[in-house]
Amino acid sequence: MSSVSELYDVTWEEMRDKLRKWREENYRNSEQIVDVGEELINEHASKLGDDIWIIYEQVMIAALDCSRDDLAWSCLQELKKQFPDSHRVKRLAGMRLEALERYEDANKLYDSILQDDPTNTAARKRKISILRAQGKSSEAIRELNEYLEHYAKAAFCLEELMMTNPHNHLYCEQYAEVKYTQGGLENLELARKYFAQALKLNNRNMRALFGLYMSASHIAASPKVSAKVKKDNVKYAAWATSQISRAYQMAGRGKKENKCSVKAVEEMLESMQITMS
Amino acid sequence: MSLKLTTQAYCKMLLHAAKYPHCPVNGLLVAEKHKKKDSPRDSVLCVDCVPLFHGALALAPMLEVALTLIDTWCKENKYVIAGYYQANERIKEARPNQVAEKVAARISENFSEAAMIMLDNSRFTMECFVPVLFIYDHHDSKWKCREPSTDCFEDWLEAQKITAALLENKSYESLVDFDNHLDDLRNDWTNPEINKSVLHLC
Repeated sequence: MSSVSELYDVTWEEMRDKLRKWREENYRNSEQIVDVGEELINEHASKLGDDIWIIYEQVMIAALDCSRDDLAWSCLQELKKQFPDSHRVKRLAGMRLEALERYEDANKLYDSILQDDPTNTAARKRKISILRAQGKSSEAIRELNEYLEHYAKAAFCLEELMMTNPHNHLYCEQYAEVKYTQGGLENLELARKYFAQALKLNNRNMRALFGLYMSASHIAASPKVSAKVKKDNVKYAAWATSQISRAYQMAGRGKKENKCSVKAVEEMLESMQITMS
Repeated sequence: MSLKLTTQAYCKMLLHAAKYPHCPVNGLLVAEKHKKKDSPRDSVLCVDCVPLFHGALALAPMLEVALTLIDTWCKENKYVIAGYYQANERIKEARPNQVAEKVAARISENFSEAAMIMLDNSRFTMECFVPVLFIYDHHDSKWKCREPSTDCFEDWLEAQKITAALLENKSYESLVDFDNHLDDLRNDWTNPEINKSVLHLC
């Protein structure tokens, strides 16, 4: 088994930077994290400085995902030695118990954290995850609502997220998708507005573009809207169509296979226009 | 009416599930369009599958886009959407939920012999010793689970051998689903590279 550094011809610094990128962007590519992280820890621990602790944490969680209890255990031991009374490390110990399906023991651990620090949201979230893993969805929902009230803010997760992350086009776009799925004219109009907002924040978000097209088309096709609203939405839909076509043209440049996709999109948009009118 | 799967269709379903072990995944199955429109077939052969989403399966707008786009692609290739597959998030949960039933119902509006397939996560292994499917057929507006067997494969031994080989090779890392396509339009949800690998190993 050759090492990661040999296989991909990377230096330990590049491996460390990759781990940081995955950490910051919250990727769950656990197999890769284990491969890169384990090698970093085994071969280059002394060079990592204080970064090593956060790397232990990241690798430990990825190891749980890959059933590498040996690796998870050794990472946990190092963290316990360095941070003996830490709640953060305790939570990791809890996650390991969850991976072993020892839910009672995990819950005891989280409860002890919450006794010490009732505002510890990480422990609360883990308890809800346990309920989900056990299939107890109604209880999970109840706990989630209590957890949200804890913030004494808006009932809806996404509204909360959008307020505190106004530049995040992904929350905006997902909120729009939820509204669209809920259905009804009012929700469709809201959806269209949030898709448009997501596009303002990131004009390359394809989901937002498609979403704008779909919601505007459905509104235009609705018998309940005025002539003006219909006209406006037809315009929005037409604009979205041209943007979608352009995006596919740009993606398909130079690739023979993608010609099929581009054609398919054109036909899809044409056929939708027919059914919408 | 019995549904049969080619190696390529089965392979890509399992690769999709393997790529996102922590998420629910779903997708569509396509069959070749029957020459004679009105005569019944004795079996439907699903020749390919199109992986759709991972994570959030229940959101309407992208599902509508995907269904329409794939339908258009099918028409060009003389295929028809013949089924729906889903693997749930939790390992012990293999029952179809509302999403599965709704999408499968929509498909059967256009194709009366449509089938719904649920993956059995608990028996999913790298070696693929057993088929990990539950196949549901539509009878009197209810979905009924068929007796699991290897009859639903065009060639079970081939399917088993090739799927195991691709899983071993981690080919799932390069599998593209519709979500990946929306993230970057250059990602091709027809997965030509994986199709080539399957053919190579046949």
